[in-house]
Amino acid sequence: MGAPMTPQNLLDNPLTTEKCTVGCPIIDRCLGGGIPCNSITELVAESGSGKTQFCLQLTLSAQLPSSHGGLSASSLYLHTEFPFPMRRLHQLSHTFRPSNDHNPCDYIFVQSVHSVDQLLDIMPKIESFIKNSSNSRLPIRLIVIDSIAALFRSDFDNTMDDLKKRSFLFFKISGMLKAMAVGFGLAVLVTNQVVDLMEPNEGVNGLRVGNLGCLYSSGRPICPALGIAWANCVNSRLFLSRNEDFVVRENQMVNGGVGGSGSEDFVCRRTRRSLHVVFAPHLADTSCEFEITREGVFGVER
Amino acid sequence: MEVSKLPISATQRGKLISAGYTSLSSICSASSSDISRGTQTAWDMLQEEQESLARITTSCADLDNILGGGIGCREVTEIGGVPGIGKTQLGIQLAVNVQIPVEFGGLGGKAIYIDTEGSFMVERALQIAEACVEDMLEYNRFLRNDCQVKTQPKDILENIFYFRICSYTEQSAVINYLDKFVSEHKDVKVVIIDSIAFHFRHGFVDLALRTRVLSGIALKLMNLAKKFSLAVVLLNQVTTKYTEGSFQLCLALGDSWSHCCTNRLILYWNSNERHAYIDKSPYLRSASASYSVTSRGIRNSTSRSKRIKMMI
Repeated sequence: MGAPMTPQNLLDNPLTTEKCTVGCPIIDRCLGGGIPCNSITELVAESGSGKTQFCLQLTLSAQLPSSHGGLSASSLYLHTEFPFPMRRLHQLSHTFRPSNDHNPCDYIFVQSVHSVDQLLDIMPKIESFIKNSSNSRLPIRLIVIDSIAALFRSDFDNTMDDLKKRSFLFFKISGMLKAMAVGFGLAVLVTNQVVDLMEPNEGVNGLRVGNLGCLYSSGRPICPALGIAWANCVNSRLFLSRNEDFVVRENQMVNGGVGGSGSEDFVCRRTRRSLHVVFAPHLADTSCEFEITREGVFGVER
Repeated sequence: MEVSKLPISATQRGKLISAGYTSLSSICSASSSDISRGTQTAWDMLQEEQESLARITTSCADLDNILGGGIGCREVTEIGGVPGIGKTQLGIQLAVNVQIPVEFGGLGGKAIYIDTEGSFMVERALQIAEACVEDMLEYNRFLRNDCQVKTQPKDILENIFYFRICSYTEQSAVINYLDKFVSEHKDVKVVIIDSIAFHFRHGFVDLALRTRVLSGIALKLMNLAKKFSLAVVLLNQVTTKYTEGSFQLCLALGDSWSHCCTNRLILYWNSNERHAYIDKSPYLRSASASYSVTSRGIRNSTSRSKRIKMMI
């Protein structure tokens, strides 16, 4: 017989999983409250879509008290692409200043990671760092990895062996992150890149994973990097898309109307950004539009 | 005449004596039922099975149809599919539906939910439980007014024994512990493991060892199902296999594992709809059905096209 293990009574904990607000009520509504704790959420997007903006904003909103949807927590930011956007973080911190006496940047711990081996090496140090922070004013309750794809894309070739080794590491890293998430009640946000889809809906690359039949960004079909193996390692997947929109504004008066037929159609180019829920155990198929301003990332009601 | 004096080989003699036959007359008077102690006739087995005809509904009539009424007890059903297809949703639905009282056609049992990935969200389970209670009240209103619906959504949550497992050793430990746990909680009628694959996809450099460990687990779960007449549901992930020059999608954990379960159900996407098909079963016909995941849980798909396809 085995040693006794006690099951959790589901009624012992609050009946809603704790979530961290992303700093905007519209986006929060789309996400059912924000980024959930005790699981891994993945943010997939091509470069320039706003992944890092999102992550930076999350490290600031995490510091808000739970009355404002935050976790009253510090964050650990592991970045794999250089340099760390310090200036932008400073700029954003003016919007999300929870109180005037503390500098929000003091509660964001940044660590650069350049390879998978290094990440595995520092995991125990990360764990003890988080444990030690539990007594401080704002314990660490958010880990951001920006981006996980960058770690894997250079070290591995496209051979069967390397792909198998890579899969092995996905599950190992994901297992460690999830164990920490459960142990310390952390929210984990991991960003991922995209690859172009040569033939949509064909072969394993075109395999549909989640609510959207095919993901589009910049007007072309793409799919998240790292394949099906990594998709099995995350609990929720969010997709940020960006597309150029051409808006025609008709019949604008030109030159003060002199000359009679002085009206022209203006064509404006506008970037339309959307957040989609690709899959999540607690969310329906939702999406919302957002924009990136100097103050931060905010949802747009249309 | 003494057995020791019979003209037979030493091994045969030894076996007869250790079985308790010391003289020729004792062998002659042994009846066939004495000798075949521990075996059962097929008729007896059928009688036993008829007793446990209850199946756990999935709340989707089409899915129930291809499953012969729902997920069966005394057997292990494996359910696999790509991320986001609804495996966890189906797992939670079964953990709720097993609790439907006998008066409403359910098993009135409890559930064990072993979560290895962290996809079980309490608010989603509560949502599904609330919809189940609402459905029961609705059923009551239209058909039978004599049964009271005494179950509350929170009671449903309380009857799910939830284990969160963070490593393969914890997983093995909890599976070993199940026998003791279920003998102390005889009303458990379903054990769901979500997912069986996650912790086994790393940590084993020796794949032959992994196969042995998995076979051991499969055996324990099968014995558990038969001993306590409960249903075991294992959720599995997908991976790609390079066969015949191309990459094919298949369930994780390898070929040997695919033999371990009684039934196998594969969930997949087909033109914007979720489908399920019976990939392996000793008694269910190969067929596929569509289903949908709604805010109330697993339900029939809303498309009007033919929903169940039989494969000849």
